[in-house]
Amino acid sequence: MGTIFFELALTLYFAGFLLSIAGIVRKKQDLDKAVLVCSLSGFILHSIYLALRYLKSAQAPVFSMHEANSFFAWSILFISFFIFFRNKAKILNFIIILSFAFMFVSAFFPRTIPSIKPELKSIWIDIHALMAVFGIALFSLAFIFSILYLIQERAIKAKKFGGLESIIPNLEVLDKINYHLIFWGFPIYTIALIVGFAKYISLLGFLFDPKEIWSFLTWIVYLSIFYLRVKGDWRKKRAAYLTIFAFLLIIFGFFGINLLTESFHKPL
Amino acid sequence: MSLIVIGVNHKTAPVEIREKLAFNSKESIKEGLRYLMNNHAINEALIFSTCNRVEIYAYHSGSSNTEKTIEGKKNIEEIIIDFLSNFHRIDRREFINYLYIYKEKEAVEHLFKVTSSLDSMIVGEPQITGQVKEAYELALSERTTSLIFNHLMNRAFFTAKRVRNETRIGENPVSVSYAAVGLIKKVFDELSKKSVLLVGAGEMAELAIRHLIGSGVNNIYVTNRTYERAKELSKEFNGKAVSFENLKEQLIKVDIVICSTGAPHYVINEKMIREVMLSRKHKPIFLIDISVPRNIDPACNNLDNVYLYNIDDLQDVVDSNILERRKEAEKALGIVCEETEKFFQWLNSLDSVPVIVSIRNKAEIIRQEEVEKFKSKFKDLPPELLNSIDYLTHSIINKIMHEPTVALKNNSDTKEILIFAARRLFGIDHEEE
Repeated sequence: MGTIFFELALTLYFAGFLLSIAGIVRKKQDLDKAVLVCSLSGFILHSIYLALRYLKSAQAPVFSMHEANSFFAWSILFISFFIFFRNKAKILNFIIILSFAFMFVSAFFPRTIPSIKPELKSIWIDIHALMAVFGIALFSLAFIFSILYLIQERAIKAKKFGGLESIIPNLEVLDKINYHLIFWGFPIYTIALIVGFAKYISLLGFLFDPKEIWSFLTWIVYLSIFYLRVKGDWRKKRAAYLTIFAFLLIIFGFFGINLLTESFHKPL
Repeated sequence: MSLIVIGVNHKTAPVEIREKLAFNSKESIKEGLRYLMNNHAINEALIFSTCNRVEIYAYHSGSSNTEKTIEGKKNIEEIIIDFLSNFHRIDRREFINYLYIYKEKEAVEHLFKVTSSLDSMIVGEPQITGQVKEAYELALSERTTSLIFNHLMNRAFFTAKRVRNETRIGENPVSVSYAAVGLIKKVFDELSKKSVLLVGAGEMAELAIRHLIGSGVNNIYVTNRTYERAKELSKEFNGKAVSFENLKEQLIKVDIVICSTGAPHYVINEKMIREVMLSRKHKPIFLIDISVPRNIDPACNNLDNVYLYNIDDLQDVVDSNILERRKEAEKALGIVCEETEKFFQWLNSLDSVPVIVSIRNKAEIIRQEEVEKFKSKFKDLPPELLNSIDYLTHSIINKIMHEPTVALKNNSDTKEILIFAARRLFGIDHEEE
């Protein structure tokens, strides 16, 4: 049910994806409006799809691989629109590529509504899962913007222009966006972890699960980024490098742990 | 039918000649247009005058009306040259060798190039399109343009727009001081919240400051070995003078530094910037060194969040931008040729013979169709009668078409307008955009 909204959103994201690639390859921004229209309309349909799914299943739409990827794609777009309209930064063309990629992955997984163990059916688990994915979405954008920052910074330092940097925003904006992403991402991720841990302990007692340990490790790295960012005395370039590193840890947690280990957290 | 442009520009004539031929005010252009239109050989005219060029565009339909032949005998070139000489009261021998004269296709191509800023001193500079627009508005207000020039100018602006949108010709700055501002904008976002420190003085440094002010910077500090000089300069930019001894403290505060002193050694060295960066918590700083010999140690660029450009770096950026523009200019020329072609297609459509032929063909087709319909309805009528119906309709068409045909064939001032109108009225417009 409502799967037509998913297909339509996917198609619009695909159109946005193609337009973005065309813009990036030609290093021009003339297609940006079209990219905005495609991704915004796709996003609206996607939101409808998620809402319908939530109403039908009465559980957060993040528990299967299909749901997690699709909600992740939705989250990064949601945040990007926020950044786009607030900072007037032309960044959608980079994001829609990522959004489409996750949406595309999501399309390959079965769309049935996952049945979760009855003891896990709780608002807290919903909150945990939603906030975890949303927090990771914020971090992944910080990752993208850190890469863009490094590209722009390298061009200016090396005094070589005519590359991708011509369609990347200036360093100050990129850094500001990065700051906000970490500023919001870290607390959200922290709450997600605390809620998850609390539920976990209440169900199973104090046991070590690979995913939990990994999440904790990543959390430590983000804590240090958060601390250094908020303190203000920080070399932006190093912040960018550390953000990239931290995100690679997250990605491993998101996919690697699920595939490689017999975690309690394995998708249901 | 002939289109012509006669003029001088920065490539063909020295400034002494250009200033003598220039129309310095709107009034003088209007007066010039009136003067020019007094000559009946000219149907439409436009005067374009900037500090780099003076151009007269004219169109005459080559009509052979008797009242016009008296002056029409004179070549249109001569008329315009005479006009320039009489209007500006200078001997034609003084300027005739500097003139360029383009006709027909070349004239249109030239106008399109000028409007698209391909003929400018700095190729791609954006002001020229607006200046052409102004010139056109003046001509409009004096009613010296009509069908041909209105369409021509429309196409010129359309071409300029295409060039701007489809090429990157105006994208990258090609002067050192603009290039500096462009680079600064790659680092900083809102320049209105940034402060700049000028160390020393110098033409290029001041130019850069002015461009920065133009981009919104309004917090300006000036320092100089002699405090008095700093004070003087700071007044010019509405800034604050600071003493040279406080240079380091000032560096901690500002975001952009433009250095241009006559000192034979480094005024700002790496150690100094290292300490400064520590004090400013690594907030990014942009250093521009336009002094020769250099005043800022190039090693500063190796420090994190310090961006140092010296005069050669800026020149490199400018050079590569110029190269880029040249490449883009070739693309733009393609667009100009295309649009010139289109314009001539349109102009040719204003030739009377094909229009008359198509109107008549159309009428004939309608007549035949209607007659056929009639014949198939009333099959029983005697053939003689049917033949006379054929004949009758034929002569009606001929009678109706007679006046329009004569009017269209007639070489008058309004010939093109009539043809244009006829195409519309009889619905035979094709490929008109």
